[in-house]
Amino acid sequence: MESAPASEPLLRLRGVSKIYEAGEHAVVGLEGANLDIFPGDFLAVMGPSGSGKSTLMNILGCLDVPTSGTYEIKGTPVEKLSPEALAALRNREIGFIFQVFHLLPRYTAQRNVELPLLYAGVGREERARRALEALKSVGLEDRRSHLSNQLSGGQKQKVAIARALVNRPSLLLADEPTGNLDTKSGEELMEILRQLNAEGATIVVVTHDSTIARNAKRIVYIIDGRLVTPDEYRELRG
Amino acid sequence: MNPFEFIAVAFDALRTNRLRSALTMLGVIIGVAAVILLVSLGEGTKNYVEAQFAGLGANILIVTPGKIETRGGPPVIGAARHKLTLDDSRILEKKGYLFGGVAPVIFGTAEVRYGSRSRNVSVLGVSPEFSPVRNIHVEVGSFVTDSDVEAKRRVCMLGRTVKRELFGNANALGQVVKVSGARFRVTGVMERKGVSLGFDIDDIVFIPVRTAMDIFDTDALFEILISVRNKNDIDSGKELARSLLYKSHNRHEDFTITNQAAMLSSLFTILDTLTYVLGGIATISLLVGGIGIMNIMLVTVKERTNEIGIRKAVGARNRDILFQFLLESTTLSAGGGLCGVLLGTLGAGAIRILVPKLPVAIPPWAIALAFTFSVFVGIFFGVYPARKAAALHPIEALRYE
Repeated sequence: MESAPASEPLLRLRGVSKIYEAGEHAVVGLEGANLDIFPGDFLAVMGPSGSGKSTLMNILGCLDVPTSGTYEIKGTPVEKLSPEALAALRNREIGFIFQVFHLLPRYTAQRNVELPLLYAGVGREERARRALEALKSVGLEDRRSHLSNQLSGGQKQKVAIARALVNRPSLLLADEPTGNLDTKSGEELMEILRQLNAEGATIVVVTHDSTIARNAKRIVYIIDGRLVTPDEYRELRG
Repeated sequence: MNPFEFIAVAFDALRTNRLRSALTMLGVIIGVAAVILLVSLGEGTKNYVEAQFAGLGANILIVTPGKIETRGGPPVIGAARHKLTLDDSRILEKKGYLFGGVAPVIFGTAEVRYGSRSRNVSVLGVSPEFSPVRNIHVEVGSFVTDSDVEAKRRVCMLGRTVKRELFGNANALGQVVKVSGARFRVTGVMERKGVSLGFDIDDIVFIPVRTAMDIFDTDALFEILISVRNKNDIDSGKELARSLLYKSHNRHEDFTITNQAAMLSSLFTILDTLTYVLGGIATISLLVGGIGIMNIMLVTVKERTNEIGIRKAVGARNRDILFQFLLESTTLSAGGGLCGVLLGTLGAGAIRILVPKLPVAIPPWAIALAFTFSVFVGIFFGVYPARKAAALHPIEALRYE
């Protein structure tokens, strides 16, 4: 499965585990995950619900740190970073696309897109310019003054993509991005992601849906917190 | 992220909940307005008292008969209780090398009649020294002279009000009025002085002190006013007067010497304390307003947990979140403080119009203090909710519906 590009991996996971303390017993979210993601990759992480997809996604997105193992972004180990440093890393390197969009409802599309730039310390005019540029790239520049809760699901997710893109991150992380969209909007959205990937963006999509996963260049499977081969996956899923 | 961005975000958030923000601010508004209003009232009272005492020099000693005991048991039966007499006044005048003037005063009330008009007024029996000591002068004519006193002349000087009531615009000089039935020639009309200590100085008739003794049939003085030549000698002057009278009263201290300035300053101390107490009480309501802010901020943080998660996901650091919510609470309290200053100022202005006698004044320090305190309240009571917001885990915050 591992195509082996000559370049250094963008992300490198080695023996990454995540154990949650839940009352008296610990719950294993992720166990000994090894994964390399290279610049220009379009990776799908497939697994049923409760398989550890979200845990992996949270760790990749620096929203959480592994209990053990090492995780490097561009060669920088992440697991020892402070919350402040993780925030900076999320701001610079990661663009999130969530299943439930997670836009600020009372903000306009443009202000939602500007949000990462706000925390990057970009000035007002530059923010507006880059937000507009990002909205154009998803074909929503004419909706920039709409409040986000006035937009359709498909439009919301496009705004979310624009927000994810606006700070030119190394990685786009999409968690079930089509989960709340109708088929047509979903296809449109995956087309945008393919397009972005063709233009050089590195994308990781986490999904339980194989038709979505098929848009990716490669697929990794996860089940019970472990990354498995396609054969193992088919076997375990019955 | 620069501070102005934070302020813009805070304003946005407060605008989305206008009514709630307004009600929360109301607590601070009332607190700040109360501080300013009550302190202004205190200052107004002080100004009022100060105006009442205006004209009384700082270098005046007042000798009154009888001893105001500050401690000790009931007066010993049979203890001599001396009056103050002209002899006392003469001794003070002769031996009081520190004194500029010594003015004996007899006080009484009498009916003053001119033709068909009459008026009940205060009558002061005085010597020529009264005018410079008390800083009260005639406008036309002349004041009591030494020969008036010695000869017990029946002459009088009318205060402005008395003159107007009895004579209107006509000339009073040289006319004859009846004081307690006795005929007096008007030799002077006093300049306008106004009200002091609730006492209308313009509603007085002055007559020579010895004449007054006859009219009121007494040799007991109401008081002796002493002006000390040098303000710095006020304490030694007081001691000098005390020892002189002590000797002449057969070693009985049956008189009281008060120092106008000392009395005034102790009164002002009391009034200042009153002002601070009022301000302090009002400050408590400001604190209650602060608790209101904390309460609302806690609700806000809870409601906006998802927003906090989103902001953190896109790169907001903990301190960005902390500042955002801290600024919201501070904007609430500072906005409330500003409105409170406005309301308090308007209120003080209204009192000034409704009660013109009370010269309400807003001391600038009260405005500065009330506003600063309100800002501080916003920060103080905002810290806990803001820290709570900042400490949220991004994943849990994102998951929160």
